[in-house]
Amino acid sequence: MDIFIENLTKEYENKRVLDIDTLNINQGRIIGIVGSNGAGKSTLIKILGGLEQPDSGSISYNGEKDFDKIYRDITIVFQQPYLLVSNVYNNIAYPLKVRKYKNSDIKNRVNTIMKDMGIDYLAKQKARTLSGGERQKVALARAIIFNPSLLLLDEPTANIDPDSMNTMEDTIKKFNKTNGSTIIIVTHNPEQAKRLCDEIIVMDKGKIKRKITNADFNQYNFRESI
Amino acid sequence: MAEIFKEAIKLLATFDKEIYEIVFLSMIVSFSSTFISTIIAVPLGILLGNIEFPFKRVVVRILYTTMSLPPVIVGLVVFLILSRKGPLGYLDLNFTPSAMIIAQTILIIPIIMGIVYNRTKEDGRNIHNIGKTLGASYFQRGILTIKELRIPIFIAIVSGYGRAVSEVGAIMIVGGNIKGHTRVMTTSIAMLKNMGNYSMAIAIGIVLLTISFIVNGILYHFQGE
Repeated sequence: MDIFIENLTKEYENKRVLDIDTLNINQGRIIGIVGSNGAGKSTLIKILGGLEQPDSGSISYNGEKDFDKIYRDITIVFQQPYLLVSNVYNNIAYPLKVRKYKNSDIKNRVNTIMKDMGIDYLAKQKARTLSGGERQKVALARAIIFNPSLLLLDEPTANIDPDSMNTMEDTIKKFNKTNGSTIIIVTHNPEQAKRLCDEIIVMDKGKIKRKITNADFNQYNFRESI
Repeated sequence: MAEIFKEAIKLLATFDKEIYEIVFLSMIVSFSSTFISTIIAVPLGILLGNIEFPFKRVVVRILYTTMSLPPVIVGLVVFLILSRKGPLGYLDLNFTPSAMIIAQTILIIPIIMGIVYNRTKEDGRNIHNIGKTLGASYFQRGILTIKELRIPIFIAIVSGYGRAVSEVGAIMIVGGNIKGHTRVMTTSIAMLKNMGNYSMAIAIGIVLLTISFIVNGILYHFQGE
């Protein structure tokens, strides 16, 4: 999904937390967003995902500005994902159920993705009893099972074990490669940004401070921005 | 004392017709008021927890206040409204089970609505957001909210039923405790005590306690989930 942002602003209690003149993101790219706390990263993700409204400006998704027409093609994974009061299988199946997939299709897709991510043994476990890493894997599986054109990730691997982080990163890369979806990931981990992203956007005080392409990653001191 | 208990058990074991009629009417009145309250209070509680509007704080304070409405005041107001000279006097409902259901419904709507509102306030936004990000329509998000909050909703309903079945003040005023017509467990116990018929009062009390025990058992089970 191509995204074009123009004159986007957002204020909380008279404090401007987001102020983006223009930002163009091309389909199929993995974009990292880095920046210190309060830089406006999560606000941007929430606005892109339709969970918050900007005060001014516009976002066009493949040329479409009416979010209600494309919301089914966009999803978000948060650092603390909300898992439904049910088992893992039902959590992952939910996006397919609301899209009225056939039961046999749902079963096939859910079983395949759980196997790919190594969480098939959790199928019948109550989602609320999972560990942090397992929760994140379930949330990611649930987000990508319906092949969204835009996948928004807000620090999805913060505070999880290295094995789970590797699985998450592999899944994100594989999903991007096979589906061609646009992925935007907020991260505080520069190494992860280097491993995953084609391009990194550095944000500061709600503004875009710098855009760095993959080729320039090693020359930039991320520690100053994170 | 032992004799009274013995007699009470005997009344229950021999399926005393009067006792079981009273128990049956109690169940009908309490189930009806709980059902009507649920239909009204659950959607309102979810709505109140999910939307913002001017003076919401005032509405919430009124809701919390009405959660502990004095039953006799509710009974008196319902009685006056339904009395011959009242605005709904033409319905001729005073001293009927319908009037008792109305009084109980008014008493337990705030209880169910308040509990549902509190949980929706905590989790409603998250549920709504996750539904939206996973592609659920507005209607599907509403269904998801009810499904996700099913345990607190059930607890709210059971709490409402517990209040309804143990209530005496309001239904005594609007029902009048008429034998075979509006006499329920709580009003019977109050009357039988005054008459000195302790064995029958205790027999009914045992049934009422058993129902309360079952209701609290269900509540405890779900709170532990």
